[in-house]
Amino acid sequence: MTLLSQIIQYAISGITSGSIYAIVGICWSTVFLISGVMNFATGEFVMLGGMLTWVFFDAGLGLAYAVILAITCTVLIAILLERIVIRPVRYPTEMTYMLITIASASVIKGIILITCGSETRTVKPFIEIEPINILGATLIPQAIVVTGVLVIVTLGLLWFFNYTLFGKALRASSINQIAASLIGVDVSKFRLFCFGLAGALGALAGIVITPIAFTGYNIGLMAALKGLVVAIVGGWSIGGTVLAGLALGLVEGFVAGFISTGWKDALALSIMVLFLIFQTIDFSRRRRKIFP
Amino acid sequence: MIASGDPRHKSGQSSSKVGVGSSLFEVIQLEKSFGGIRALCGVSLRLEKEGIVSIIGPNGAGKTTFINVTTGMYFPDEGDVYFQGQNITGLPAHMVAHLGISRTFQLEELFSSMTVLENAMVGCHTGSRTGMFAAGFRLRSAREEENRTRGEALENLRMVGLEHRAADDVNSLPLGERKMLGIARSLGVKPNLIMLDEPASGLAAHEIAKLGDLVQKLVENRLAVIIVEHNMPFVMSISKRVIVLDYGRKIADGSPDDVRADPGVIKAYLGEED
Amino acid sequence: MKEDGRFKTNIPWLIFLTAIIVLPIIVRSNYIVSVMFFVAIYGMLSIGMGLLMGQAGLFSLAHPTWFGLGAYIPGILSARGIIPPLPGIFVGAICVALIAYIVGAPVLRLRGFYLACATFAIILIAQVVAAQLTNLTGGPEGLVGIPALSLGGFVFKTDLHFYYLSWAFCLGCYWFCSNLINSRIGCAMKSFHDSEVASQSIGVNVAKYKLQIFILTAVMASFAGSIFCFYLRFAVPDSFGFPLLVELLMMIIIGGVGHLRGPLTGTFVVLWLTELIHGYLGKIFPVMTSEVDAIFFGILIIIVLIFMPRGLTGWIDQLINLGRKLYDRFRGSTT
Repeated sequence: MTLLSQIIQYAISGITSGSIYAIVGICWSTVFLISGVMNFATGEFVMLGGMLTWVFFDAGLGLAYAVILAITCTVLIAILLERIVIRPVRYPTEMTYMLITIASASVIKGIILITCGSETRTVKPFIEIEPINILGATLIPQAIVVTGVLVIVTLGLLWFFNYTLFGKALRASSINQIAASLIGVDVSKFRLFCFGLAGALGALAGIVITPIAFTGYNIGLMAALKGLVVAIVGGWSIGGTVLAGLALGLVEGFVAGFISTGWKDALALSIMVLFLIFQTIDFSRRRRKIFP
Repeated sequence: MIASGDPRHKSGQSSSKVGVGSSLFEVIQLEKSFGGIRALCGVSLRLEKEGIVSIIGPNGAGKTTFINVTTGMYFPDEGDVYFQGQNITGLPAHMVAHLGISRTFQLEELFSSMTVLENAMVGCHTGSRTGMFAAGFRLRSAREEENRTRGEALENLRMVGLEHRAADDVNSLPLGERKMLGIARSLGVKPNLIMLDEPASGLAAHEIAKLGDLVQKLVENRLAVIIVEHNMPFVMSISKRVIVLDYGRKIADGSPDDVRADPGVIKAYLGEED
Repeated sequence: MKEDGRFKTNIPWLIFLTAIIVLPIIVRSNYIVSVMFFVAIYGMLSIGMGLLMGQAGLFSLAHPTWFGLGAYIPGILSARGIIPPLPGIFVGAICVALIAYIVGAPVLRLRGFYLACATFAIILIAQVVAAQLTNLTGGPEGLVGIPALSLGGFVFKTDLHFYYLSWAFCLGCYWFCSNLINSRIGCAMKSFHDSEVASQSIGVNVAKYKLQIFILTAVMASFAGSIFCFYLRFAVPDSFGFPLLVELLMMIIIGGVGHLRGPLTGTFVVLWLTELIHGYLGKIFPVMTSEVDAIFFGILIIIVLIFMPRGLTGWIDQLINLGRKLYDRFRGSTT
């Protein structure tokens, strides 16, 4: 392989995983912005999407049915999570939410471990055509599916939040919950909707990546953390998250390709820590409160 | 007690060091904006010695920002703050407190997980220096210092008339007593200058009278008091000097009678006359 | 800063101390002693975390890392024969204090959730580093060849020796921390938890105290890690990661952070519950890993967070208060 084809190869794999990070990042930011909940179960939605697709596919259903069923189930689980775990919290602080979603994530993970076992699973690619050769690098068709899903999700959400009444109402309530509830917006319904949306998007991300990277009961934590890194670095906006996701994917791809795969996960997290610390530094001699 | 002339002229032309040494507290051309909003533009103020100065003004005039900037909670965009001849501009808030400026808060900001006495004791933090190891191993010095601090805190509570509630939970106090506890806590710093942020808001008439007596008592103890207030009768009765802020600008500075007659002030409070 | 008579406050202390000393003599069960050893080890960690979260309001999750560093530093030093185990523990603690200082100074400027995220990331970064530096740490397979811990001529061999050693450290930490909470520094900590601006306005150097308390709890965790490492004579990166964090969070939440006895109670309850679950449910489920435990504990955390937000100890305190009120009313109605 020439250097050029290597670079292209790593860029392809970087963009593929970056697309997944971006979608997971969007899951984080929709839930966080609208309900203020830091949802550590986001990664489990990704895991559920992949695992449930495998379960239904393995049971003999067609791939399309398996995908639809998996997304529906994950959405239902996400909604249940909001109803029976998040809503009853009597003294809501961001830390309570964080701890309670970490606990829920471990419960989901444990149940999947018991019911589906600890082996890694995969399903067949969605479109069965020959891999494409670009200057010596192979582009597997599933990578196109993954990127395509990111594009559709991004454009769809941008349209939804900017051009529909419901989407605008959601944005308004993310800016000021109290004001939104005063003018008659049902904030708690919005939160439910956001969990459902995050469940659907997370499951979608988990499903499309399954044919490339195997899925297993324990992929949730890393998926959640990568999404969190991307959401924080992207400034909790859709555009920023997508850009940060693709950038992180590319950097990771090149680091994994040219240096070592072992350091890959530490890299993303170090970027997040450095980014957070960097935000607290005052350059203009002014002491500001970054995170009040 | 009222500074002669406008301090703006003094500092504007010559070095800002000139004439600073003699005064207790001096603010020169203070500027602070948040985003596009200029909360303070060019406010200057000079306090020679102890006494009561009131700062009044309509909502959003920059009164609380003035306190926040001069006590180191915010960094000013422009301007300097001097205290006892020392430039304290941009010092962190806890250093400012060490130097002898303390403040209270509009919403009291009491420590809700503690008792009244403990609140007053934390106020005496700057007066003690037990380190982590002495405290953790409960050395003799730590215990002695704790007893001394308790004595001081009780003294401060007595000053504001709260000693009978020392053991009570902070959350059980009514608003008037909460304001008083806020003052007792800030007295623990042993300040030379104390800034009260809306001490009378929400208080009943007899509580305001008690507050007035307390402020007089503080001045007798050679403290300078800056009061930021909405309550005009209270301000006019208690202070000999009143400063009016409007949209971050100082529009009047003088005795209560002068200020009351000032056309600019009337305009700011009652709106433009047509 | 309570004004109780010292004698009165010391009675529960003395009872607890006697119980800890006498326990192995009475029960003579190696199993119970070894579980109680782990209670002490995890207790040191959870007391530190409870102090950070409950008193100072700092959601720092980096404790597994300090625990791991406390295990690895003396482990590596003694396995290579550079420093013998016992001084190694203290060298390790000093190193951890330094690292905590370097990490804490920038990271503690973050607030709330962002602090939690950054410290959480530090755990995983440290794990990757431990797994990747194979030459130094033995990589994912673990560090082996750690010599036995010895004091003078006395070698710590049995569970009983480690039981007393760990409880000595644990109770020492507990005593130190409870003194600290009731001191001027403890009150300053609570004050910036309640209101940071007010705390600064009365001259509390918030950044300094945050850093001090962060380092203190890191050093406590480091001691726990060292003892743990010399007990197992083995260290592997996986034991200082996310599962340990969840376990610690569980102990703190279930115990409650209002008072130091909360985390210790939580540790006791969680570890014995784990043993129970393993004993009874191990027969039902074929795979009995910590992830299966996590189902039960996850549900338990959710229930505790929803129904008793102040944890078990807070709940018991409430019950006692209620009982006292009822008793008073009853007495009032009879006389």
